[in-house]
Amino acid sequence: MAAESPTSVRKVVVHLRATGDAPILKQAKFKIPGTDKFAKVIDFLRRQLHRDTLFVYVNSAFSPNPDELVIDLYNNFGFDGKLVVNYACSMAWG
Amino acid sequence: MMDVCNWDGTVSAKDFRIGALSFAQKWESLNSAFPPWSWVPCPKHSWLASHELLQEEGYLSLENICISRPNEEDIDQNSQTDPGEEETSCSEKEDDIDDATLVQSNHHELHYCDFHVVYSYTFRVPVLYLRAYCSDGRPLLLDEIEKELPACSSKELPETKWAFITQEEHPYLKRPWYKLHPCGTSEFMKLLFLGGDTAQPKLEVVLELYLLSWFSAVGQVVGLTIPCKMLNDR
Repeated sequence: MAAESPTSVRKVVVHLRATGDAPILKQAKFKIPGTDKFAKVIDFLRRQLHRDTLFVYVNSAFSPNPDELVIDLYNNFGFDGKLVVNYACSMAWG
Repeated sequence: MMDVCNWDGTVSAKDFRIGALSFAQKWESLNSAFPPWSWVPCPKHSWLASHELLQEEGYLSLENICISRPNEEDIDQNSQTDPGEEETSCSEKEDDIDDATLVQSNHHELHYCDFHVVYSYTFRVPVLYLRAYCSDGRPLLLDEIEKELPACSSKELPETKWAFITQEEHPYLKRPWYKLHPCGTSEFMKLLFLGGDTAQPKLEVVLELYLLSWFSAVGQVVGLTIPCKMLNDR
């Protein structure tokens, strides 16, 4: 990352993964600038799924704070060139 | 030792206590934007007193956290504001301060919040309790709290099982506090540890990380964030 020039924005590959009873997205993989906040991923999910209540987490048992930068999440939890973001919807009671 | 795929998403009181102390330690070293948590012991008095000390009950406490958002006048004096970060509430409005806003900000009273992490013996999970108040000590009602912590408003948590706010008597302090109801906790804890596409962790690892993982989800509801490196620092 130190080799990147300041003007080039490194993009992170994000893979959205449905878990629990959540619907699977048609477009589940995309690239996003590393300097974007995680909030953008959450908002994208909410718009695609038309749901406000989502539980979003990454593979290491962590629900990222929306203000985290995508590049920081990738550096900490990315694997195999991508950041896997899991999502679940509110489950039924009982 | 129970297999992790049979795990029900809960923890024992003993594992809660161990995890809570470990969480507080990590928080203190890696989350210096906030003051540290303290463990408040609540020794049970019983005729088994000498043995009970090994099973000491207690809770984590983080108190006097100012939850009021800084207004335009406070921004320059707020040393915690990172100049590189977007401050959506102020930078765009800098030129629009009118008299009404100035008058309001002179009377802007600050609101504070106490947070406790208490073990629930009923649900066998940690529970986040909160109590907010003005600088003169007057308790805030939920709708006032929601103005400062919008993520816990009923708009943001509509009919969700993950976390909803109820008012209940604090199990140790015997006064009414608000809490994030724990009935959905075991479900989202199972998802956090078992829902990913990586290999399933060992149960010991799950119990070690439980409080951290739990807090990454519930802390967001009340504006207490933890940096992602807290979960990567083993």
